Amino acid sequence: MLRKSTLLLLAVLLVVGIFAPAALAQEEKITITVLNYFDLTAPGAERELEEVWREFSRRNPHIIVEREDLFLEAFHQKVEAYAAADRLPDVVFMWPGGRSTSLHTLGLVKDLRPLLGDDAQYFNPAVLAPQAAGYLAELPSTMTSSHALYINVPLLESLGLSIPETYEELVAMVPVIKGAGLDVILMGAQEDWVIQSCLFSMIVGRLVGDEKLHEIIRGEAKFTDPEFVNALEFYAQMYKDGVLDRKIMNINYSEVNGLFASGRAPFMIDGDWKTANFLTDVTTGEALIPVDQQPNFKMTIFPAIPGEITKKSSSGVVGTGYGMSSKIPDGSPKEAAAWELIKWLQSKEVQTMRLETAGTIPSRIDVTSDNIEPLVVERIRYYDDIEVYTEVLDNVLEGEVYLPLNVGLQEIGLGLATPMEVAERVQEALEAWRAKRQ
Amino acid sequence: MKRLLAWWTEERRAYLLLVLPGVLVYWAVMAFPTVFSLGLSMTNYNGGVIFGNPNIQFVGLRHYLRMFNDRYFWISLKNNGLIMAISVFGQIPLGFLFAYVIHRKLIKFGDFFQTIIYLPCVISTIVVGRLWQSFFSPYGPFTKFMQTFQPGWENELAYDPQKAILPVLFVILWMYTGQYMIIFLANLQKIDPSLIEAARIDGASEWQVLTRIMLPALSGVIVTACILAISGSLKSFDLVYAMTAGNPARRTSVLALYMYDTAFKHSPNYPLANSISVFMVLLSFILIVLVRITEARFGGREE
Repeated sequence: MLRKSTLLLLAVLLVVGIFAPAALAQEEKITITVLNYFDLTAPGAERELEEVWREFSRRNPHIIVEREDLFLEAFHQKVEAYAAADRLPDVVFMWPGGRSTSLHTLGLVKDLRPLLGDDAQYFNPAVLAPQAAGYLAELPSTMTSSHALYINVPLLESLGLSIPETYEELVAMVPVIKGAGLDVILMGAQEDWVIQSCLFSMIVGRLVGDEKLHEIIRGEAKFTDPEFVNALEFYAQMYKDGVLDRKIMNINYSEVNGLFASGRAPFMIDGDWKTANFLTDVTTGEALIPVDQQPNFKMTIFPAIPGEITKKSSSGVVGTGYGMSSKIPDGSPKEAAAWELIKWLQSKEVQTMRLETAGTIPSRIDVTSDNIEPLVVERIRYYDDIEVYTEVLDNVLEGEVYLPLNVGLQEIGLGLATPMEVAERVQEALEAWRAKRQ
Repeated sequence: MKRLLAWWTEERRAYLLLVLPGVLVYWAVMAFPTVFSLGLSMTNYNGGVIFGNPNIQFVGLRHYLRMFNDRYFWISLKNNGLIMAISVFGQIPLGFLFAYVIHRKLIKFGDFFQTIIYLPCVISTIVVGRLWQSFFSPYGPFTKFMQTFQPGWENELAYDPQKAILPVLFVILWMYTGQYMIIFLANLQKIDPSLIEAARIDGASEWQVLTRIMLPALSGVIVTACILAISGSLKSFDLVYAMTAGNPARRTSVLALYMYDTAFKHSPNYPLANSISVFMVLLSFILIVLVRITEARFGGREE
C-alpha cells in the first residue's frame, strides 16, 4: 500500500505534468503589433487576409499578431500620431522615403540588413540599396513605376488613331478625341500628390534629369533655374494643348478606375500599381476590366517630350515594405518574432500571391507564376519599355518642400499660378527647410 | 474641525458627488487639452516625447505669425465664413420656415415632409459626401441633367476655383436644415395654442402671428441654434474632406482641414496645427459672445 506522502507526490506530479507544458507554452507566446497599409476593397483583399495573415498565424502559433489595417490618408495620419506619441507598432508598413521619411531619419525603425543575412541572395540587389536615412529600414516587396500611360487600344483605333510616339503626335490627336465626345487623358487627381507623383516626376526626369535635381536638393542649383521652370512650363502647356483637362482635379482617385474601364478616354496616367484595381476579385469573380477584355489595354511610357534630355524614362522607386520598431531589443525573442513576420511578408509564397492578385512586380528573384491575368502580364512587359528610371519627387524631397509643389501643380492647371511663381515657392520652401536643418 | 464638520453637510457631499465626476471629465477631455494646445502652439515641439523633452523650447507667437502669413489660412477662413453664413442665414431660417409650415399645418402630409427633411441628418456624413461628390462630378448626373437642356454644357462647378465651394455649401444646407427644423418644431409645440387662437380671434394675420408671437417666443432657441450653427461651421471637416479633400488647389479647404493637413500630412507641424486650433476656439468664442450680445439687445422674452 502506498504511503500518503507518495500519493500526494504523485498527485502533484500529475498536476504539474498536465499543466506545466501548457503554462510554458503560454509563456512563449509573443505578441507583435502591426500597422498595415491595406485596401480592404481591392480585388484580392480576402485572398491576402487568408493566404498572408491567417497562414502566418497557422504556421507560427506562438506569435500573436495584432494587426491594424488602414489605407491612404487614414494610415499616414495614424503613423504620424504613433510616431509623435513614441508608440510605433512593432512592425510597420513603410515607404523607402517620401511619406515615411521621418521614420527613417528619426531612427524609429531598425536597420534590417544584419537580420537579412544570407537571405539577401534571394532579392534583386537594387531593392536592398540604402534608403532615406542611408540604411535598409524596410524590406521592399517590389519595384514600382509611379508613372504609366494606360491605353484603351480598341477605343483609340476606333477613332483611327494609334499609340503616339511623340508629344506632337499626342497633341494632333486631341481634336479627333474631343470631337468624339471623349476626354484625352484621365487622371484621378483630386488629391494633390497624384499629378506630382504620377506625371510631373516623369516630366522632371525627362527635362531636368536626376543629376540636376540632386544639385538642386544639395543647394548647388535652384528650382528657379531654366530646366525646372521649363518642366513646369511643359506641364502648363499640356493644359493649353488640351492634352490635360482641368476636370482631372475633380476626379477622385478611385472614381477614375470606373471611368477609364468604361471607355471615357483612350488614355489614363497613373502609377503601375493601378492595374490591381482592374483585376478579378476572387471573392465575387467580378472585375472592372474582365479577363477577356484585358488584352485590349496596354501600358507604356509617356511619348517623347520636345527637348528631353532623358529618353524613354519613367519615374520609379523601390517599393514599400515592412520595417521593425527600433524599440525592440536586439537579439530578443520579440525581435525574432517580428523578423519572422517581415520575412514571411516578403517570402516566395506571399510575393507569388501578390503577383497573381495585384500584378506586383516581385523584389525576389525566385518568384514566378502561370496563374496571372493578362493585365498583370502587360504590367510586367511594361517594364521593358522603360530604359531609364528617374526619381519620384516626393521620395527625394521633404514634405514641406514638395507640398507647395503639389498644390502649385494644381494651381498651374487651374490658371491660378505661373510656372515661375510655383518654382519660386518650392525654392523658398527648400531654403526654409535647409535653414531649419542647420 | 467643528467648522469643517459644519461645512461638510450632507447637501454639500451630495453636491460634490453629483458635480465632481462631470467637472473632472470636462477638465480631462475639454479644458485641459485646450490649455495644453495653447501651450504647445508656443513651442517648437515636433514629435517625440512631450514631457521632459529637453529640446522643446518656447518660441512665442512665431507659429501664429506664420499662420497669418499663409494664404491657405485665409482661403480656409473665408470658406469657414461662407459655411457659417449658409448655416446661420440659410439653415436656420429655412429650418424655421419648414417647422412653421408643418406646425401650423399649412401643408398636408406634415409628418412625411418632416421625415424627408430630417433624413439627411441620420445618414453618415462620409456617405453623403461621396454621393454628392459623384452627383456634382464632371461625369455625374448633375452634368448629364444640365446637358439635356444645354448640349455641350461644361460643368465647371467642381473645379472652377471661384465656384468649387458652391456644391459644398449646397450640401451643407441640404444636410443640416432638418436638424434646425426639429429643434424649432419641438419649441413651437411648447407655445400655448390659446395665445395664437386669441390673436387670430382679434384679427391678427398669419404674418402677424409669426412675427409678433412665434419669433419673439423663440428668440432664445434661435440663439441656441445660432451657437450650434457657428460651432458646427467652424469644425466642418468630414463633409468637405469626403467631397473635395479641400481641393482643387486647397480652394475648398476649411480651418479644420487646414489644421489636419498641417498636423498629419506631408511634414507634420504640430505647433502650427495647435495655433490653428487655438485660433478656431477663440473665433468660436468671440462669435458666440456676439450672438449673445445681439440676442440681449434685440431678442424678445421667452415665455
